[in-house]
Amino acid sequence: MSEARSRRPEFENVAAGSREAFAAWVDGAPDGRVFGQVITRPAKPFGYSLRHTDDARAAGLRVSEDPRAAREIAKLTEGGDYRPLKSSPNLRRGWEIRVADARGLVTAMNYLYPAGVVHWYLNREGRLDLTSFRENAARQSGIYKRVQRLSDEGVQGAVLACCEDAVCLKKTLWDIDEDTPLEVDRGEGEIPCPEPCSIFVSFARRVRLFEREKDVDGLSPSEREDLSALIEAAATGEVGFAREAEFEQPLNERRMRYRRLTLVPKLRRNG
Amino acid sequence: MRALVIVGHGSHLNEDSSLPVYEHAGRIRETGEFDEVVECFWKEEPSMRHVLDTVESEEVYVVPAFISEGYFTQQVIPRELGLRGPVSRKGMKTVRYAGPLGNFEGMPDVILERTDDLMRAREVSGRTALVLLGHGTDLNKNSGGVVYLNAGRIRERGIYDLVEVGFLDQTPEIGRVVDGVEAENVILIPLFIAEGWHTRETIPEDLGLTGGVTVRDEKTIYYGAPVGTHPSMANLIAARARETMMEQHLV
Repeated sequence: MSEARSRRPEFENVAAGSREAFAAWVDGAPDGRVFGQVITRPAKPFGYSLRHTDDARAAGLRVSEDPRAAREIAKLTEGGDYRPLKSSPNLRRGWEIRVADARGLVTAMNYLYPAGVVHWYLNREGRLDLTSFRENAARQSGIYKRVQRLSDEGVQGAVLACCEDAVCLKKTLWDIDEDTPLEVDRGEGEIPCPEPCSIFVSFARRVRLFEREKDVDGLSPSEREDLSALIEAAATGEVGFAREAEFEQPLNERRMRYRRLTLVPKLRRNG
Repeated sequence: MRALVIVGHGSHLNEDSSLPVYEHAGRIRETGEFDEVVECFWKEEPSMRHVLDTVESEEVYVVPAFISEGYFTQQVIPRELGLRGPVSRKGMKTVRYAGPLGNFEGMPDVILERTDDLMRAREVSGRTALVLLGHGTDLNKNSGGVVYLNAGRIRERGIYDLVEVGFLDQTPEIGRVVDGVEAENVILIPLFIAEGWHTRETIPEDLGLTGGVTVRDEKTIYYGAPVGTHPSMANLIAARARETMMEQHLV
């Protein structure tokens, strides 16, 4: 994060400020505010209610009065798969959390969308520090150091595959570097993304490995591997996807989204 | 106000990795010693990069839920949290960074509690060896050093006939240690933070373990859960933070 760009007053308690601002924002909308896939509204007499947006009017929900119950809710999808990225649009339904006050509201939100409230607040105030892909890559070490060599085109492709609203509900605010903006739809939601996350860096590493491959007869070895795996799986009548962040596996959704961008045009062109 | 931030490795692939961090945080929260207890991770959210923005307290204690001093505790965690040493000023916050858990003086007690839990109500005869199992790596000697350190501290107490060490990724290799140890009973305790691929799959497979208790070649091997998941680790984490307070008073 460049010091020169930081517009944050050094001695503000942003956590406390964001709690108050978020509660006031929710208080101002009796019908509720949508944050990611959560609708939250002031609810007398107990304070605030949080639900899945698709359950806004549902009855018979499992009610909890512990804001930390949000952690278990956020952990697994409806189908029982682990959710390594809390802003993926796969939050499960069927629950309601009732909290007494703003502190409980933000505690629950921080399990549903970690650091989402404070980023929302800072962004709204025009004071959210952004970290570009190149700044983020420059500090990587170990197995992630290779993302420093990812091309600009590779970053664009990785963002389209990894960060669009179809797979992540955050609004992507960072760019490739100060002079190279991302040419993507940055998303519609309320939760800002100020910096490439660890899931993105892991995916970027995978894309960098793709970039280093050499085509043989028009296809790279991993493209061949992915097509074979897809055909084999589809031939069984059921395509079982790899886990959400299992980017080394051919049938990973984000990996397939990247193939759609890069491999499908290549196949059509060659055909 | 005073906050404890526990840093875990976390995982992109399974929920086991972060579970002990959440559980220990919950236990420490219940004691009321800290106004805030917050979890953060390398591979999960909230990330180390952003966690401090979610903390309201001015006094912040960061304890890494890592066994060994090494790449993560010396390089990744300070870099990601923006720390400059044991004490860093960040705006209105004073952030004190504690060392890892494995070399802390309370660690042998947690290991022994784990062995007590494992061996409670079991009657054993003959010689008993405690074998501490570390991950180890040839890339960093500290990774293995902490396993030797704890073995030495437990050996001094004279509880077991033998206290040995073995590793997955450096010598002495764990399989050879278990096969070669001259005792009828072998208590095997992984010095790992969480259950995972190694503790559930590679270790039992490599050692031919059939469960918690495996009898073979006139040896009975008692395989314990990783030390990091023991409830007493919560006390160790809080004590680690407390020690950092004391050190600062001395300064």
